[in-house]
Amino acid sequence: MKVVPDTETRFQINSDANDVVWDPSIEWIIGPYDEYAVEEAIRIKEKHGGTVISVTIGKGIEEKSIRKIMAMGVDEGILVNNASVNGSDPVSIAKAIAEVVKPLQADIILAGKTATDSNDAFVGPAVAELLSIPVITEVSGLDVNADGLIATRDAAGRKERFESKFPVLITADKGLNEPRYPKIPDIMKAKKKKLETLDSISSPITNNVSLLKVEFPAQKEGGNKITGTPDELVAQLVSGLTTKEKVI
Amino acid sequence: MSIAVYLETYNGNLIKASKEAITAANQLAGIMGKEVYGIVIDNQVDNAVSDAGKFGVTKVMISSGISLYHPTLYARIIANASKDADVVIFPATVWGKEISPQVCLKLNATPISEISGIEDGPTFKRSIHGNKIIATVSGTGKLVITVRSGIFDLPETGDATATVENISSEITTDGYMKLAEVLAASTGKIELTEADIIVSGGRGVGGPENFHLIEGLAEALGAAVGASRAVVDAGWRPHSDQVGQTGKFVSPKVYVAVGISGAIQHLAGMSTSEVIVAINKDEEAPIFKVADYGLVGDLFEVVPKLTEAIKTVKSGN
Repeated sequence: MKVVPDTETRFQINSDANDVVWDPSIEWIIGPYDEYAVEEAIRIKEKHGGTVISVTIGKGIEEKSIRKIMAMGVDEGILVNNASVNGSDPVSIAKAIAEVVKPLQADIILAGKTATDSNDAFVGPAVAELLSIPVITEVSGLDVNADGLIATRDAAGRKERFESKFPVLITADKGLNEPRYPKIPDIMKAKKKKLETLDSISSPITNNVSLLKVEFPAQKEGGNKITGTPDELVAQLVSGLTTKEKVI
Repeated sequence: MSIAVYLETYNGNLIKASKEAITAANQLAGIMGKEVYGIVIDNQVDNAVSDAGKFGVTKVMISSGISLYHPTLYARIIANASKDADVVIFPATVWGKEISPQVCLKLNATPISEISGIEDGPTFKRSIHGNKIIATVSGTGKLVITVRSGIFDLPETGDATATVENISSEITTDGYMKLAEVLAASTGKIELTEADIIVSGGRGVGGPENFHLIEGLAEALGAAVGASRAVVDAGWRPHSDQVGQTGKFVSPKVYVAVGISGAIQHLAGMSTSEVIVAINKDEEAPIFKVADYGLVGDLFEVVPKLTEAIKTVKSGN
């Protein structure tokens, strides 16, 4: 589970134009796709038994979100709290997660399909590769049985169905479930759940991707409002699309 | 020294995102002074090889006779075929995003995901923070790159023919890894990220029972159907239709937003569209700020008339 800036955040760019401004007012949330993964893990536990352990790479602001998923039903948490790991490249992050996850010998590893901030969609499949287990990404339907699972997803307008034995890594897409809101007593109980913090990891840390510059996307020159009767609106639009834009 | 590009196919034919990936590969080849070769895995590969040749790919490495997509197997084949490449390029499709991290680790490479531009250096443009920020990044060593769909133009077509080479066959489907299998794949509607025209409906449509208006307009235009987050969260439309930060990022030639107010997370998903049409009765709706054609009016009156008008224009052609 990654903790990311709220998706409604309006970012500013720093004076060197090489990063956004990490304003203290930014709200940090559970990665939206990770939340589907967490919810699914809890549902699987509720139906089939087992333990749900969360793993987070962080920089010191993650405990609130980890306590929240514990209130949802996660049993234990592991937080790698190390700024240099957290700020490293996707390969190092994947190696750090694989290192932490491997000894857990999990049957199912769930992750979000992508982090909404960095948008790499890399770590899930990479962890599977490092653990030598199969991966099924962007899953929106999951059916778990005694020794494996059936996963479905939308890919390029088709429905794809996969079948896998354990262990397997799944990345979650929207539509997989509707994450629950934690109940007050569970929020209290979550405070006492085990959260193990690791200060360092032994896998190598690399910084092979450099962020050189950030900018806002080019603003579209819009704002051309057309008013009139419905017939006038349609006539203007159709004429624009046929003669000016030549798209129909 | 070269640039490998995985050319994703479906039923033996290159998908659009693969053609765009060829454009990206050719651009990068121009900057780096490298050769581009393609990698095709399918049951029948002849069409894809022939098309790749027409798009200027001089060599295609093939693995034929594979009728089912399989992430682990494909990753092994592609890694085998790109051992000596400096850069391996994938379309950022579901398959591409699933396979490329595995290939990246097999090759000890550096990943750069969902690029939307290439500049001298080479450096790469990519969207972060849900399309709200464009980052310029560079990578060290061998690179594995995915190319965002709908950004790069289709490559120019010539009459060249690509040479063909079989990918070395030391690949097994068994071994240490338990394999997942594709059991069913059925084609359906036009995929949002592949569509040239998209018609999306928002809360203003009023309910799922009114979405036939959106579907009718989409059909007349030959467009894919999208939806806003509000509509998906309300259960009116499947999640796969959602355009925006927690849905799909789209960049079609024409985006028609019907009854969509234009929340920041929706704009983040579609504001790079070439032509934006908005139909909304609320003159103050933020969607109008990005609209090339902002129709201020009641969608229930405008959309049926628009659908008829487009049918008339099309039948006249």
